[in-house]
Amino acid sequence: MKDIKGIVVFASLFLQVLSAGALGAEQVAIQGGTILPISGAAIENGIVLIENGKIAAIGRNVAVPMDVRSIDASDKFVMPGLIDVQSRLFVIESEFNEGRSIAPELNILDGLDPFIKEAPEVAAQGVTAVYITPAGRSLIGGSGAVLKLNGSNDVGRMLLKGDIAVKATIGVSANNQSSSLGRLAQYSSIREALLSTKIYMHQREKHAREMAEYNKKRAEYEKKKQVRPTEKVEKPKRPDRFRPNPTREVLAKVLSKEIPLQIEAHRVTDILNAIRLADEFGFTLILDKCTEGYLVADEIARSKADVVLGPVTVSFVETPRLEYRNHDVRNAAILSKRGIKLALGVSGRDGASSKFVALAASIAVANGMDKDLALRAVTLTLAEILGVADRIGSLDVGKDADIVILSGHPLDTLSRVEMVLIEGKTVFERKDKQ
Amino acid sequence: MKKRRFLSFLVILCSSFCLLSSGGEPQTLAIRAGKIWTLSDGVITNGVIIIDNGKIQAVGENIDVPEGAKVLDMPDMNVMPGMIDAYCHIGLSVNVQREIDETVAAVAADMQILDAFNPHSDDVKKALRSGVTTIMLAPGYRNPVGGQPAVVKLDTSKADGWVLKRTAGVDFSVMNQALMFDREPTSRAGLMEMLREELDQAKAYKAEEFNPRREVLKRVVDANLPAYIWAHNVDEIASALTIVDTYGLNAVLVAAGQGDEVADMIAKRNLPVIYPPLLLSSRDKDLRRAGKIAGSGVKLAFSSLAPKTDLYDLRTSAILAVKYGLDKETALKSLTINAAEILGVSDRLGSISQGKDADLVVLKGEPLQLTSSIELVMINGNIVYQRQEE
Repeated sequence: MKDIKGIVVFASLFLQVLSAGALGAEQVAIQGGTILPISGAAIENGIVLIENGKIAAIGRNVAVPMDVRSIDASDKFVMPGLIDVQSRLFVIESEFNEGRSIAPELNILDGLDPFIKEAPEVAAQGVTAVYITPAGRSLIGGSGAVLKLNGSNDVGRMLLKGDIAVKATIGVSANNQSSSLGRLAQYSSIREALLSTKIYMHQREKHAREMAEYNKKRAEYEKKKQVRPTEKVEKPKRPDRFRPNPTREVLAKVLSKEIPLQIEAHRVTDILNAIRLADEFGFTLILDKCTEGYLVADEIARSKADVVLGPVTVSFVETPRLEYRNHDVRNAAILSKRGIKLALGVSGRDGASSKFVALAASIAVANGMDKDLALRAVTLTLAEILGVADRIGSLDVGKDADIVILSGHPLDTLSRVEMVLIEGKTVFERKDKQ
Repeated sequence: MKKRRFLSFLVILCSSFCLLSSGGEPQTLAIRAGKIWTLSDGVITNGVIIIDNGKIQAVGENIDVPEGAKVLDMPDMNVMPGMIDAYCHIGLSVNVQREIDETVAAVAADMQILDAFNPHSDDVKKALRSGVTTIMLAPGYRNPVGGQPAVVKLDTSKADGWVLKRTAGVDFSVMNQALMFDREPTSRAGLMEMLREELDQAKAYKAEEFNPRREVLKRVVDANLPAYIWAHNVDEIASALTIVDTYGLNAVLVAAGQGDEVADMIAKRNLPVIYPPLLLSSRDKDLRRAGKIAGSGVKLAFSSLAPKTDLYDLRTSAILAVKYGLDKETALKSLTINAAEILGVSDRLGSISQGKDADLVVLKGEPLQLTSSIELVMINGNIVYQRQEE
């Protein structure tokens, strides 16, 4: 019952703002309080001016036009919306993806339930966007996407960016049993897929060259025929048709660095194997989960791979599981101190867990991670790693006005989220204000 | 500020080296701290704790430090009693859930969980890092009678002295998870009947029969030994209450995730509740339940059920409960003194007061602030964990 009420409030709020938006260019000014832009130092008593859903101005001396909608944030904290980089939100619960296969052409967007009822609950904790990928059962499982929690039930409207990265998995045991050889086989299957993609790309290139040559010869032939129609000229032979392969096409994008390969790896050997693959094939590597990363921090730092780390504590996942045997709450602190570019995710057992983004960052801080870096890890750094920092992740002029207003510092678990805006529109407002 | 922090760190470091190197030598120790959360006498600002022979000799604001005492000066730090995890399964080399329980016999009253505990397990170090100094090591919920939980202090690297109670009670379960298709009971009615039969027979037990299983259950029906009863849903709680009423048991409810819905019934019988970890309850997503139960006057302790959740998150549970409505003081008590009372060890543990064991946690920041790091942990006045910068 309560859930339904929540949805109704959420939906009606959404409709309200939709109709308000339809009236014309809405301007919103958030005034007062402590602004944490994340991209720079905190601004006390600042103003964020929003125009057409984008941040138009930010700072202490911003001229606020007369007829704007004003939001009083004095004594509050204002920051960019939080993002869960390891979310299961909108993913159908029974989703296991297509077995242990190589299926990079799959797209997570095709397997979502946008009507899921937990989304408002997550947004109410200041989370404005989630990154979702195919689950870790396939070796290469398809591409992930960033969605906004803007209350829409239309995936197209929620979508911020698709094809963020192709997700792969090394060394996750399906039945909680482990075999070194089994994990080696997974690694070599991925390697094989990349090798055949290399061959494929070579053939594609060769075909393109041959086609170019053919087109040239064909043009010459047509010309000759036109000038001297009677002379016998040999007609050039068209090369065989090239059949594009969807699997290889996606992996070709990975190998030509258009899309990163995000590899879920927990154990030391699997992490090192992921790095080895990146070294061999030269793709952009995002290390996912990275449970035992703290044991090979130097190797990861040297590889220049970005890390999407989580869960910060195993409480978020079904345990005990072998992958998390050597899990350590200090992992994030140790990796970030080596200068590794790091995003923190919840990696929860269900969609609703995404509401714990700030909590996860706080636990990382308690275990030695720098406060600013931890906040960046759930906003700007995360957006940079996913290639969406032009739109979200910080409060800067020109970016989407995805903003959270809190009663206290975001890393203080007892702070309450007062208001959440997505593209300038209020998607959550706290009712029981004391 | 930074410099001061560094200095205090140095002081802690130097003095702790002295402490560590002093071995078992009985010695007087004085801790000066910014805030002492006594849990018996409120919060003392800039207070002193005097520890002698592993026991707290005095605590207060203006206390003279005895001559020759080692002094730990920590003006920026908060000190609280060691936290108590009222229900967990650590150190049992468990890789998958089903290994927690022996499910061959449905009534395993004579099984002692301590026999499966590895005192040198890495889990213990992890627990200490989390500020947990005492645990109740317990069987799971898959047997109607699961065995005997133990209360253990986590200075388990010592040869002895760390077992507070080898038999802390008997673990029961009236949950659906105790039903199995290939061994009795297979139904809830069957489960209840089985429990009644066991307890009736225990009631009639005579010492000359010599049956260890009956003997321990006899102590339970005589209310000399607590019954820890697993019950999560309201219907399971109702079943548990039936058993408690029928036999007049001295009982503690374990889990009671939906306990808020029948909180008055639990409160009326004066039953304490050992609450499950808040990050675990993804099915019962309502995080306000813990606060509601405690609000009805039920005494609460928290548990990690580790390895089901990270033992680190025992404190996270309390903080989340506060975020969703639990009173702050009750939350802190639930981590310490209330847990000690529920487990029957409050004569030695749970608060920083005279005569109790010097089991202390030093935090940089307040205990209910999740970002506060655990800097130092002490059991019986000995440092068992000290945080190092990575």
